[in-house]
Amino acid sequence: MLNAIFKLKCTVNGVKIERDLDSSRTLLEFIRVDLGLKGTKEGCGEGECGSCLVLVDGKAVNSCLMMAVQLQGRELTTIEGLKGREGGLHPLQKTFMEEGAVQCGFCIPGAIIAAEALLRENPRATSEDIKRGLTGNFCRCTGYEKILSAVEKSKSCR
Amino acid sequence: MPPIVVKPPTLQALWRSLPSFGGARRYLAGGTDLVAGANAAPAGVKARPKGGSFDRTEVWVDISGLKELRGIKETKTSLMIGAGAKIAELEASPLVRRWLPVLSAAIPHFASPSLRNMATIGGNAANASPCADAVCALCAEKAQVLLEFKGKRRKLALPALFKGPKKTVLRKDELIVAFEVPKWKHSGAYLKLGPRSYFGISKAAVAAALEMDGEKVRSVCIALASVAPVPLLAVKTANYLCGRMLNEENARTAAALVKTEVSPITDVRSEAGYRREMCGVLLERALNSIASGVSGIN
Repeated sequence: MLNAIFKLKCTVNGVKIERDLDSSRTLLEFIRVDLGLKGTKEGCGEGECGSCLVLVDGKAVNSCLMMAVQLQGRELTTIEGLKGREGGLHPLQKTFMEEGAVQCGFCIPGAIIAAEALLRENPRATSEDIKRGLTGNFCRCTGYEKILSAVEKSKSCR
Repeated sequence: MPPIVVKPPTLQALWRSLPSFGGARRYLAGGTDLVAGANAAPAGVKARPKGGSFDRTEVWVDISGLKELRGIKETKTSLMIGAGAKIAELEASPLVRRWLPVLSAAIPHFASPSLRNMATIGGNAANASPCADAVCALCAEKAQVLLEFKGKRRKLALPALFKGPKKTVLRKDELIVAFEVPKWKHSGAYLKLGPRSYFGISKAAVAAALEMDGEKVRSVCIALASVAPVPLLAVKTANYLCGRMLNEENARTAAALVKTEVSPITDVRSEAGYRREMCGVLLERALNSIASGVSGIN
């Protein structure tokens, strides 16, 4: 009989943790149900909308499509783990507020994670780079203009 | 769903422990097709109980940690791409950029950045979707695919892996371990027609790889996505072009010919007649862009 319980060791938002985990958990369920971190959202459950994006080892992934056991030994950053250099809000969080890039807000944690992944890799991303970097994030409210200008603006205050 | 997930530490351990996993087992790599499928609810049914009772009829064998499937290496004559290589790794690989122009042109049109961080090239092939961008591009690159079962390997031309939509010639438990892609001096283009510029599923896509001998075509390989039950090689069209000048007139004739080789269907994404017509348009554009020395982009 196979054991459905898996011993997971990983880092979550800078803190090392060890958990007995049901191996059938998706990463998204692990984050929301087991860790109780509700910033990461479930939208479509099939990788289309990007609401569930998190960083694993610094790269953006759709947490609804990754199994939690695949986090073994790796580093997870959720929207709750993003901070400014001296604590407080992260530059992207600030510029999203300043630009009014948030309406219903459901897609925003995923959009900020996608933008963060992009800007970590390419701090001087052009507006075309930013558009392409956010192709996997759907927003049904804003029409994207304000999101794109918020990401653009955040480049100068990283 | 959801299943039990097991993680064999090595390929050898996987082969040894397979029988203990029970009958209903599947390989898990990037998860972008397997988990998406499991998350999707059949009409009227709530698929995945949140924290509820689980139906553990399946075992998923997680191969994403297997080192044997990773990496992109170069031999004298070919590139060896591990089946577990992520699409984003291919995107960042100087070897891919140098030797595989069709694949390089296709990758920006493969899903979204986050999905490219997850999806593997082996999974893209195993999923056997006729619209798979990276697979279509690799077919044009003349790739072969290496399959393994309990240490025994066999090698196929990549197009021969596919039997139909979501159907391959893979035997039970047989694993895609690598792709062997020849190094040849070719130019390439990948033109994809979808509902939007990026992150769409194609209505039709054309991958063309072409090696010149002076002004004449020495060798050419054309693959098409979303216009047949499998990623399709346009053999007649390639034969026509071989040995001929690469000019607008021949590109037009090739475009007319390729429309006779495809067998598109009408579905939610497009109509058969439109798809057929677009195969010609895309191929003509691809050939003209190669002729003018510009790698094909949408």
